[in-house]
Amino acid sequence: MDMLLELDHISKIYGDLHAVDDLSLTVPAGQWLAIVGSSGSGKTTLMNMIGCMDTPSKGSVKLEGRKLEDLNASQLADVRKNLIGLVFQKFYLVPHLTAVENVMVAQYYHSVVDEKQALEALDRVGLKDRAHHLPSQLSGGEQQRVCIARALINDPKLILADEPTGNLDEKNEKIVLDLFRQLHEQGTTIIVVTHDALVASCAEREIMLNHGVLVGEKWNDEAARKAYEAAGGRPASTGAQVEGAQTGETAIGFSDPTKAAKTGGTEDAE
Amino acid sequence: MTNTGMFFRMLFSAVFRRRSRAMMAVVASLVGAATLFCLAMICIAVPQQMNEEMRAYGANLIVTPTSSTASADKAGIDEAMVEHTTEMVAAKGSEKHATYRYENVRVNAAPYVMAGVDAKQVKNLNHHWVVDGSWPSDGKVLIGRDIADAIGLKVGSRITIGYRASDNASSSSSTSAEDANTDSTGASSSQSQSQQSSGQPTQDGRVSSDIMDTSGTEFRVAGIVDTGGSEDSIIYATASDVNKLTGVTRGVDVIEYSAGASDLDALVQSINDMTSMHVKAQQVTKITASDTRIITMLQTLFWIVSLVVLVLTLVGVGTTISSIVSQRRNEIGLRKALGASSSAIGIEFYVESAMYGLIGGLLGTAIGYGLAQWLCVAVFERSIGFNWWLGVASVLLAALVAVVASIPPVHRATRIDPAVVLREE
Repeated sequence: MDMLLELDHISKIYGDLHAVDDLSLTVPAGQWLAIVGSSGSGKTTLMNMIGCMDTPSKGSVKLEGRKLEDLNASQLADVRKNLIGLVFQKFYLVPHLTAVENVMVAQYYHSVVDEKQALEALDRVGLKDRAHHLPSQLSGGEQQRVCIARALINDPKLILADEPTGNLDEKNEKIVLDLFRQLHEQGTTIIVVTHDALVASCAEREIMLNHGVLVGEKWNDEAARKAYEAAGGRPASTGAQVEGAQTGETAIGFSDPTKAAKTGGTEDAE
Repeated sequence: MTNTGMFFRMLFSAVFRRRSRAMMAVVASLVGAATLFCLAMICIAVPQQMNEEMRAYGANLIVTPTSSTASADKAGIDEAMVEHTTEMVAAKGSEKHATYRYENVRVNAAPYVMAGVDAKQVKNLNHHWVVDGSWPSDGKVLIGRDIADAIGLKVGSRITIGYRASDNASSSSSTSAEDANTDSTGASSSQSQSQQSSGQPTQDGRVSSDIMDTSGTEFRVAGIVDTGGSEDSIIYATASDVNKLTGVTRGVDVIEYSAGASDLDALVQSINDMTSMHVKAQQVTKITASDTRIITMLQTLFWIVSLVVLVLTLVGVGTTISSIVSQRRNEIGLRKALGASSSAIGIEFYVESAMYGLIGGLLGTAIGYGLAQWLCVAVFERSIGFNWWLGVASVLLAALVAVVASIPPVHRATRIDPAVVLREE
């Protein structure tokens, strides 16, 4: 099995604070991984490093076999636009561009603008009839779907989603999760950062961080675990010598996060 | 749609869908462009207007016969030479001129200077002359205030003017007196010179011989001129009346020009270089010097104000763009997260700034022209035409100022770390 993402003992250190502490993780192509943990556990920092928006203080990140630490800012931008689709909790749509134009912005920076393709992407998330509305004219769920359409438009190999349902009601959360499910079935690798138990449980695999340290890993899809291990995949691990850390070759199970996601998006500003 | 099309779509969306923000930047550019264009238009209009106003205060150039001509024969400058000299002056700019033939005459046996003129020319050249009554015509003379007071004349009075050839016999110093006349009009020096050139014995400055001879030709006083200068001691008659009175037709003694030539020195030099013309040109320095000084002072003042306005515009536009950029930090971070390079973001913002400058420049130039037009009508009572070169320069300058003012904030924006912005910490 090809590993799309390989993290090798990566750490992110701010002064005395270890936002991510000596984490090793491999993610094969097509896997749906959830990174869970409480606020301040280092989830978003980890996502930024995977998404080429931040660099680790120590260790190495490999994406499709390429070491990111060897790349300059321009090359990292290229990797970002060619391999990764980003979905944010707060959507981050350009407020003065319509839904279809927001999708086309991603095309513009990637390669060539194609309005028809952008409309098809919006159709895929059920928003074709809202294509020419400004973000301010769309509901939160609709804005998140535009964000997903924008993430999908360049056919990325990896979708990185940071609390994608954090600002959505139950109905829209279900729509978004269904979209992720479709993408997963089509073979897209998905990494979701969340503290929503429901969202995390939709993933094949979950890892849990606590204060930057890996403290657990569990699989929600046994067949996927077997396939992963059969292909030589190993459990995530940390070199941090902290009580409760998952340091060895054996995954430490954990309970689903108890904290509900419906906090209005105000509690997870990592 | 092409990427270029998308670029302009994003640009127009940023400008026209964010109207309140865009309006701030446009207004900042507009105010600067309007003020600068208005000042520039006035900077151009004022010297022209001042020049015309100053031209109304008499001649700035006088032409007299050279000494050799005068000594040989007091023939003056003939009509053909007047025409030729006028052509030379007209070739360098606008011109108004008047010719004067001076003769010594007697009124009640006392000597005075009489000038043969074309009333229209003199009136056109000397707007500042205050004339009570009317200008001279055949059989009617215009007399200076000093003479009128001395003799007790009023408009409509009769005056008998006598001509004695002997009073005008010696004229060799005529043009030499003109030579000294570099700071006044030809009239004053001609008068003083003429009063001393009769060549006859004098007593208390007056001719002592045939003193009781009061014969002459009778004229009616058409008007009395009051200038406060030497003109107040001269009798003005038409050239034909002077010809009749003297019985001699000859050329003029002085041509006075109000020349609009930008380089009066060069014009004087070119006339004087033509020795075959037998004339000598001189500047009336009190007119040209004050004219130049006032215009230079006004222009300097306008340019200083323009510079201050330019700096204020830069600060205003810069602050506005800076505010716009800081409000769009998240958008910039997002674009970088989507793969935009710093240069791509920089270009987008510079073009957007240029667009604010262009819109503001166009509106500002139109408003500036309206203001300049209004000012010129209110102050100078004349309208000014639109200067297209200045208009284009104003619009381009507004765009350039907007781009230059946006360099610091846009440079900061292109260095935004997407992770930091999107984390909203």
